[in-house]
Amino acid sequence: MTNSNIKKTNSKPSGLSSTEFSFSTAGYKHITKPGLTEGTIREISAIKNEPKWMLDIRLRAFRQYQLLNTPPWGADLSGIDFDNLRYFLKASDEKLSWDDVPPEVKETFDRLGIPEAERDVLAGVKAQYDSEVVYGSLKSVWEKDGVIFLSMDEGLEKYPDLVKEYFGKVIASNDNKYAALNTAVWSGGSFVYIPKGVEVKMPLQTYFRINAELSGQFERSLIIVEEGAKVHYVEGCTAPNFSSTSLHSAVVEIFVKPGATCQYTTIQNWYKNIYNLVTKRAYVETEGKMIWTDFNMGSKVTMKYPGYILAGKGAVGETLSMALAGEGQHQDTGSKAVHLAPYTSSNIVSKSISKSGGRSSYRGLVKIAPDAHHCKSSVICDALILDPESRTDTYPTNIIENNQVEMQHEATVSKVGDDQLFYLMSRGINEEKAKKMIVNGFIADLVKKLPMEYALEMNRLIDHEMEGSVG
Amino acid sequence: MKKSTLKPQTVIIDKDTKHVIEQPGHYIFEIIKPGIKVDIFSAIQAHGEETKELNVIIHHKAAKTTAQTTLKAVGFDKSTLIMKAKILIDPDCQQTESFLTERVLLLSKDAHAIAIPDLEILTDDVKCSHAASVTQIPEEQIFYLTSRGISRRTAEDMIVEGFLKMTE
Repeated sequence: MTNSNIKKTNSKPSGLSSTEFSFSTAGYKHITKPGLTEGTIREISAIKNEPKWMLDIRLRAFRQYQLLNTPPWGADLSGIDFDNLRYFLKASDEKLSWDDVPPEVKETFDRLGIPEAERDVLAGVKAQYDSEVVYGSLKSVWEKDGVIFLSMDEGLEKYPDLVKEYFGKVIASNDNKYAALNTAVWSGGSFVYIPKGVEVKMPLQTYFRINAELSGQFERSLIIVEEGAKVHYVEGCTAPNFSSTSLHSAVVEIFVKPGATCQYTTIQNWYKNIYNLVTKRAYVETEGKMIWTDFNMGSKVTMKYPGYILAGKGAVGETLSMALAGEGQHQDTGSKAVHLAPYTSSNIVSKSISKSGGRSSYRGLVKIAPDAHHCKSSVICDALILDPESRTDTYPTNIIENNQVEMQHEATVSKVGDDQLFYLMSRGINEEKAKKMIVNGFIADLVKKLPMEYALEMNRLIDHEMEGSVG
Repeated sequence: MKKSTLKPQTVIIDKDTKHVIEQPGHYIFEIIKPGIKVDIFSAIQAHGEETKELNVIIHHKAAKTTAQTTLKAVGFDKSTLIMKAKILIDPDCQQTESFLTERVLLLSKDAHAIAIPDLEILTDDVKCSHAASVTQIPEEQIFYLTSRGISRRTAEDMIVEGFLKMTE
């Protein structure tokens, strides 16, 4: 790997003290008043100069949001004070090149360890500063092939017909309370369109962060991968330190056309007071393939179940999910596979680590419809629990509506074995280091699937999180 | 999902036991004494348009307990099988071992199965796993028997009989 990647890896992991990730909200161009009313939504829509149909979608979603209930299952969400959240923040105008980005924004990105040189290596860096993308560049090579990689707001402005055709088509606004909220107040996110047969060889990347205290970030992403095309999209997250609880509620919709492949990788490392409630779903057509790589380490509460609807013959879904729950954290993650067509297959691998009183839960769904014969589904969940205060749960639901299927589910729970520790310590390795080695080994299979720089970062992060875990 | 309307039936386990569940229903097994070993077995069948629901909770309330739970079910015709099972390990139940297997065989394409094996673990020093599978009879097994002059129907019956037998 090049120097720039290593530089990035060195600076990003949370080895910094928490205050170094803290920035004030002074200098925002536009901040809505706390709370949410129909007026707030009209205001957001007007600022963005949106077409009327989008405002109508937002208003309808807002009414649905008011009617829907908080899910009776899952994590405790009572700590969110919806009335005191700000629903829209605009940092600065969009700039064309990195040099034009204001110094204070740049400083934030430097702290996050996004080196400028990285632009030359990676496909295109979209960095989301609060609610809107402030900087984005895409290699002209792919622009020539017709690849579109814009912020969702730009996407709506430049390709309204495409957005209208796909927006809300795989995740309806009334899918759940938080999807409705997102649809009502969405801002930012990515719009990606890969034309027929185009293979994007390097991953497309974005960085999301929340900056202003009490700001909700409601990004909305739409990825369309046309027939036979291929893309890997990487979303990395880190958020600065602030005192009150904040909310992040995203919606990601992906359309995988016949024979296309899409991989979506998330590294979620929000600061530990954020509620992260995300709805992600892909619609996969004939012989298409969707891969979710979902790594959750940060936030106070995460509820996220990336899913796929396998709608075409021979479609494939794959999920690699990893969660690390430390003190005061609840990672409620998993995956949903809905098999609608014959010969479809899904493969879900989940690994979780609970420590210092943290709780990690796997919650998943496999549904095989009556006409979906010759389907295969395999779900494997492994949990590691590091101390007596922690907790781990597995809640899989399997609904099988025909008999020509092979459905398997397996889950195991274990701790770091005394015999394993003894083996390593008898060879002169101290207990802390031995534990780190065992934990890194536990997740090694999944980390290998990440792009190189993220894999390094992941190992460092785990090392950091494990520090002082020897009682 | 609809809430189960079955009335729970609590079985207190305070000595080594082999328990066979004869009927579908809602059972809570509470293992209350340290060092106990329990085997729980169930085999159910559903025919016609029946819906059969088995809901089992294995609740470890003491340290050093071991449980092995095997739940098998066969669905014929247009039947629906609902198999819920949960392993619950309380805090401070160190050195608990609990294993759960749910195996469902569906013999007709109109038969449905819902398998929900849950784990809730509040102690670290445990060995715990569950596995669930839903399949039909492998065609190779049928072929093996029919090639030896056994009719398809009889072959299926034989395989089902073997499947539902309690294994040691």
